[in-house]
Amino acid sequence: MNIRRLVTLETVGAAMVTVLVIVAIFAPMLAPHDPTIVVAPTFGDPGAPTLAFPMGTDELGRDVLSRIIFGARISLTVGVAAMAVTMTIGIAIGLCSGFFGGAVDFILMRFTDLMLSLPPLLLAMALVAVLRPSLRTIFIVIGLVSWTSIARVVRAETLAMSRRDFVVGAAALGAPSRRLIARHIIPNVLPIIVVMAALRTSDTLLLDAALSFLGLGVPPPTPSWGRMIEEATIYFRTAPWLATFPGLAIFYAVLSFNLLGYGFLRRRSQ
Amino acid sequence: MMRRRLGPARIALLLHVLAIAFAFGCGGGPPPLNLPPHAMVIRLADADDVPTLDPAAGYDTVSWTFEQAIFDTLVRYGDGNIELEPDIATAWESSPDATTFTFHLRADARFSDGRTVTSEDFRYGIERVLNPATRSRGMEYYRGIAGAADFAAHRNPHVSGIDTPDNSTIVFHLGAPDPIFAHKLAMPFASAIPRDVAEKWGDDFSRHVVGSGAFMLREWIGGQRLVLVRNPYYFAKPLPHLDAIVESVGVNQELQWLRFDAGQIDAVVDIPPAEFPYVMKTPALRKLTLAKTTVTTRYLGMNCQMWPFTDVRVRRALSCAIDRHKLIAILNGRGVVARGVMPPNLPGYDPDLEGYDYDPAKARALLEQAHLARGFEFEIWMRADQTILMLAQSIQQDLAPLGIRARLKPVAWGPFLEAIRQPRTVQSFMQGWEADFPDPENFLGALISRAQWGSNNDSFYSNPEVEQLLAQAEPVADLKKRYALYDQAEKIVVADAPWVFLYYPVTYIIRQPWVHDYVINPMRPTRFEHVWLSPHPD
Repeated sequence: MNIRRLVTLETVGAAMVTVLVIVAIFAPMLAPHDPTIVVAPTFGDPGAPTLAFPMGTDELGRDVLSRIIFGARISLTVGVAAMAVTMTIGIAIGLCSGFFGGAVDFILMRFTDLMLSLPPLLLAMALVAVLRPSLRTIFIVIGLVSWTSIARVVRAETLAMSRRDFVVGAAALGAPSRRLIARHIIPNVLPIIVVMAALRTSDTLLLDAALSFLGLGVPPPTPSWGRMIEEATIYFRTAPWLATFPGLAIFYAVLSFNLLGYGFLRRRSQ
Repeated sequence: MMRRRLGPARIALLLHVLAIAFAFGCGGGPPPLNLPPHAMVIRLADADDVPTLDPAAGYDTVSWTFEQAIFDTLVRYGDGNIELEPDIATAWESSPDATTFTFHLRADARFSDGRTVTSEDFRYGIERVLNPATRSRGMEYYRGIAGAADFAAHRNPHVSGIDTPDNSTIVFHLGAPDPIFAHKLAMPFASAIPRDVAEKWGDDFSRHVVGSGAFMLREWIGGQRLVLVRNPYYFAKPLPHLDAIVESVGVNQELQWLRFDAGQIDAVVDIPPAEFPYVMKTPALRKLTLAKTTVTTRYLGMNCQMWPFTDVRVRRALSCAIDRHKLIAILNGRGVVARGVMPPNLPGYDPDLEGYDYDPAKARALLEQAHLARGFEFEIWMRADQTILMLAQSIQQDLAPLGIRARLKPVAWGPFLEAIRQPRTVQSFMQGWEADFPDPENFLGALISRAQWGSNNDSFYSNPEVEQLLAQAEPVADLKKRYALYDQAEKIVVADAPWVFLYYPVTYIIRQPWVHDYVINPMRPTRFEHVWLSPHPD
């Protein structure tokens, strides 16, 4: 058994993601305290890390470690749900555009260009401000603003696939478009979709953190990493741990999905 | 006065900063000050530019800080108290029914351009505020002067109720008794304004102000710096002690603190919340601070027209369910637990008012009586501000064990005010009120009366008994009787609990050891006439 074969980018990534998923699922059992209640009277003067509170307590007397653990739930839910919305829209538009070509392709791709020209964070802020900030709003909004690159990649792959002999052959035998897409095209563009999904998840995590940081994320008291950093900014000089730990948590989550994604990508191109 | 700072000023500031960045190119600092080598200069700083220096326009703490220095009113408050003192008026009297007020002016007051201040200049100042074209928010305070409406409608070139029999006498005739009218003349709105200068500059008067105060405007570079120098004609010789006041703009709270630490700023009005515990724990810094309870009340307003706050038991339950000591701990002790509408330091304040104590068991019992034992869900609106959001989260924590789920809605200041003033729109909101003048009327009349629905009475509370007491109290000039009536009204309001009375803020400032006679006023910004500096390193 070769260890170096086992320790690849994707297995490290997968292991890190698994840890994240376990933490999120078993948060109530893993977290030492309820993340919204007062555990220490450190009001207005955050408590430094101690044995009892390894990551300290915040300005409202809440345990930072418990908030980070529960924050994993929000980040993971938003990350995965937003990625699903992103993928659904991106794949649908990419497939139609690449498969049907012509006017359909032109219209869909110009629409994609239009969306690409808008800065995603600005667009997301506007949408959240109009809709009401809630968990569902957040992942719908993130999905709505980040499907464009998926659509382009899927279109390119579909375009290449639909010119392959086996697809042209099936079409010549009279297979309907639905069957061609479902049986021949999707299975062949699936690998790139998986890679994109892993990579996009880290982007959605960052976008969620940015929205929370701007006060547009999941409303309090639900702990989210981005909001924790925002609330810690005024204490950055006196209680740097308040911002450091959620920052590390975001770093970990983004890194794990990126490793997974790049691992898949490398395996595919080998 | 509802807010301390103007929101839109930030945008204006940004534009100014951009404009200046282009004008000077990157890296160009402000030009040198050109003050004499041993001048006594106090250096201050703020994040935002001064909104205005025009007394008719300013209605926020920062504008008033400098308007007070540049302009004089007939009467003013003491440096550290809220007793009326002579300013340009050396003496004044009112008729027993409080409808006629006569002020005798000193003859030696002069504007910074050398012209003598006369009673005409005060009449012009108030007429300018009452003129609708000025769009002054001070208008409401002088509407009670006889003939003010005719003047505002352009039916009369002057306000008939203001008499200036000679250069040193001014008489105000009011349409109805107003025992606190003299206080309204202590607001910067009623400053002496030189007509020729104000009319020459029109809307641009703010940038070319001329007043009779201790200081005069030397230079105002938008987004960078405001410089005031001593007015050589100021009547109260040898005041002021300072040669100049320099306010640097665009210095945020954290940066102000760093600069104070480095000795580059002489006084800081806002100690950053995160630094505050450190300051209090360090004796050398602690002794440089000054503290005073302001004439301000902070509260959680509940809309009495909206479920579930139509039920007084629910409002009382919330009043018992919120831990005010925790809120004050979060503010690092910068507050006093509130028991009623009126803050301490306000004449007429009742120190024996019972109010509500933190008592979750009682809150639960009240909820059971109101058939809400299982709790309910409601929304709290607030200004999007980190400190307010922190306090709101603490309230959310307190309510959760009772099954009450509070949803927090932070919004910008403008939309916030707009929303809470609509009937049946906002269930509850975090708000505060700072006194304009020291009288219970400015709290109970301004915030609780039926007449203020859609304006300042945003909990849409009304009680006929309270209305009657307020109407009864308003014209009473005998202070003891007056305060007793207001006290009676306040007790009913506290029992009806349209607000959860949260806390009375305590303001802290810190100044360098070489700054002397710097005093906090509980209701107005600090005045600089008596401030002086001992020799210090630059």
